[in-house]
Amino acid sequence: MIEVKNVNKKYGRKQVLKDLSFTAKKGEITCLIGINGVGKTTIMKAIMALTPINGGEILIDGEKIRKDSFEKITFIPDTITMLPQMKIGEAFTFMADFYKSWNPQRAEELLQFFKLDPTERIANLSKGNTAKVNMLLGLALDVDYLLMDEPFSGIDMFSREQIAEVFTSHLIEERGVILTTHEISDIEHLIDKAVLIDNGEVLKEFSVEEVREREGKSVVDVMREVYRG
Amino acid sequence: MTVKFNNRDPVYVQVIRHFKEQIAKGFFEPGQEVPSRRELANQLKINPNTAQRAYKEMEEQGLIFTEGNMPSCITRDEAVLKSVREELIIEAVDLFLGSIKSIDVPLSEVLKLVEKKYEAESGETEESK
Repeated sequence: MIEVKNVNKKYGRKQVLKDLSFTAKKGEITCLIGINGVGKTTIMKAIMALTPINGGEILIDGEKIRKDSFEKITFIPDTITMLPQMKIGEAFTFMADFYKSWNPQRAEELLQFFKLDPTERIANLSKGNTAKVNMLLGLALDVDYLLMDEPFSGIDMFSREQIAEVFTSHLIEERGVILTTHEISDIEHLIDKAVLIDNGEVLKEFSVEEVREREGKSVVDVMREVYRG
Repeated sequence: MTVKFNNRDPVYVQVIRHFKEQIAKGFFEPGQEVPSRRELANQLKINPNTAQRAYKEMEEQGLIFTEGNMPSCITRDEAVLKSVREELIIEAVDLFLGSIKSIDVPLSEVLKLVEKKYEAESGETEESK
């Protein structure tokens, strides 16, 4: 389980995370929802210790993040971090050199699934295919937790469907996923838990099936209440 | 297998309903093997945890059964199969009655219209919603 406990974060004088807490379980898909600029990416960076926090703590399976935690948890940012002149196959070698948890078999399987050509240069890929490669590089790691920043934004409908399909497959099964999005409607059926965020604060954290069952409300219904009510 | 899910009812409930419809239509036969949890999640494009929940619930309701490590199968219990069909019919009729009552139409007029429409439609291809 990933536990974010009372985290505070400031950029200069600006407080971007205010006493923010939530949890994300292994084997579940947790979705951080909020419009741009509410702190979603900052939360992910804080979990990965890519940015220092000014209070609170973050635990992964009960422990603070350490060097070897990066074999257990990975972050897929919203833009690819590989050098553009690299070929897809070269990016695989790069990952294999850096991570013990790199699973070449799974990488190959994902290549087929996304119908990508390993000899293609990253710089020459379409936006949708770049997003798929980016996703692939994270998914092919044998990690327990995956953090994905806006995996669906700015890509075409079919690529989006293909990426969504990943979430219903064994590629995600048993793992814990935290993803951020500002457009939830496509993936309402895929997530286990929603965390609504505004201005660096958690407004509501809920299990989506439970809310449907108890209140007959969709995630969008709850959002309307919380953000506009 | 594609199912259109609405966003307001629990997905697992909608999955169970889908199974019941398939059973009532005879698409799933007694004793027939059902997809694994993972296959189901993939086919219906839903979360594997939701597929798991639906199967657990159906097992409890006696709609499917699992023996040891074998794949789950549709029940052979005639009474359960019959009740599934009845349940769906009664539900549909209740729904229909609810909306017809709110506009105050006499029964005889409704029945005549139902018969006429039903016959006209069964001529065309039968499509589940």
